[in-house]
Amino acid sequence: MSTEKLAQLMKDLAENQTSHGISLSVEMFDTENKVACIKVEDREEFPIYMTADEGQILCISYLFGDEQVDPDKRTAMVEAMLMMNVSIPLSAFSKIGDQYIMFGALSPKASIDELLHEIELLSDNVLEAIEAVSDYLKEAA
Amino acid sequence: MGIFNKLLSAVRGGATEVGEAIVDSQAIRILEQEIRDSKKALNDAKTGLTSIMAEKMGVDRKVKDLGEKITEHETYAIQAIDKGDESLALDIANKIAEFEHELTIQQGIRDGYDSKVASLKKMIRQSERNIQAMDREVSVVKTTAKVQKANDLASAKFSGSNSSLRSATDSLERIKERQQKREDQASAAMELHADENGDDLQAKLKNAGIVNSGNSGSSILDRLKKQKGQS
Repeated sequence: MSTEKLAQLMKDLAENQTSHGISLSVEMFDTENKVACIKVEDREEFPIYMTADEGQILCISYLFGDEQVDPDKRTAMVEAMLMMNVSIPLSAFSKIGDQYIMFGALSPKASIDELLHEIELLSDNVLEAIEAVSDYLKEAA
Repeated sequence: MGIFNKLLSAVRGGATEVGEAIVDSQAIRILEQEIRDSKKALNDAKTGLTSIMAEKMGVDRKVKDLGEKITEHETYAIQAIDKGDESLALDIANKIAEFEHELTIQQGIRDGYDSKVASLKKMIRQSERNIQAMDREVSVVKTTAKVQKANDLASAKFSGSNSSLRSATDSLERIKERQQKREDQASAAMELHADENGDDLQAKLKNAGIVNSGNSGSSILDRLKKQKGQS
């Protein structure tokens, strides 16, 4: 895992965000300098975690945990997610531990424009996705 | 077991508690050990390939030598026939027969080596690809583990001691509200702007005498005077 690569990406993001008309806060998240945390303005609830290694740049956003899913609708939701997966532009559903996530992966050689586009789209997709599956979630208390 | 299956067992076994590593580090360690083993096996296979290729070169040389010897002895045999030495010619022909027999054997061995080399090369390519894939996957699994840790930290920060974990739909609602507010503000600003422009226009129209200049102080005074005069 390359910390230099990640630091460079963060710098590029900070410098180029305005040209895309989005406002991001970008900070290193962990002490090992392996994970960057990107927050899109007004959408701080769903931060995007970015990591970079020789294989790929990975952008991950957490949707919700198992505990928020209506147990009776879980299978239906997972199936809906699987079916949606292909048609969602550039992002895909997955699961880490008990957390449902949405992620996008880019080539480490991707341009900063492509990365910004990815982040923008992922952020949009996350909101759309939660809206789309909200029927499968427990009613908010 | 295939790579994907191993990965599945590595990322499964997830713990649910906040702050607890979600990736089974033991499974990852096992996977890494397997990668190391595969790399060692790959190296052995490469060494094996080298020695087989060296052996094959030896056989190649033997085949070439035998071919040359056969050609050479054929010339001798023809010379012997030309000299009318039938028995010498027969001896030479017998020798050629021996060579040819040996050649057949060596060619068989060489063919064997050829196919062995080809399959070894194929195997090496295959395991190189597998190792690369495993390396990549393990790296992703480790990355997601780090992200998981990061997210646990973040949500721990978000949720105070009293509040339960934030719900995704609540968050979405909050974002939508914020967005709506922002849009409202923007349209209010637009309206304000339009009003200001409208005022400008009114003023211009008044100046141009197109719109009634409205009731000025003096016109009111005039009106009041008229009213007083009438009464």
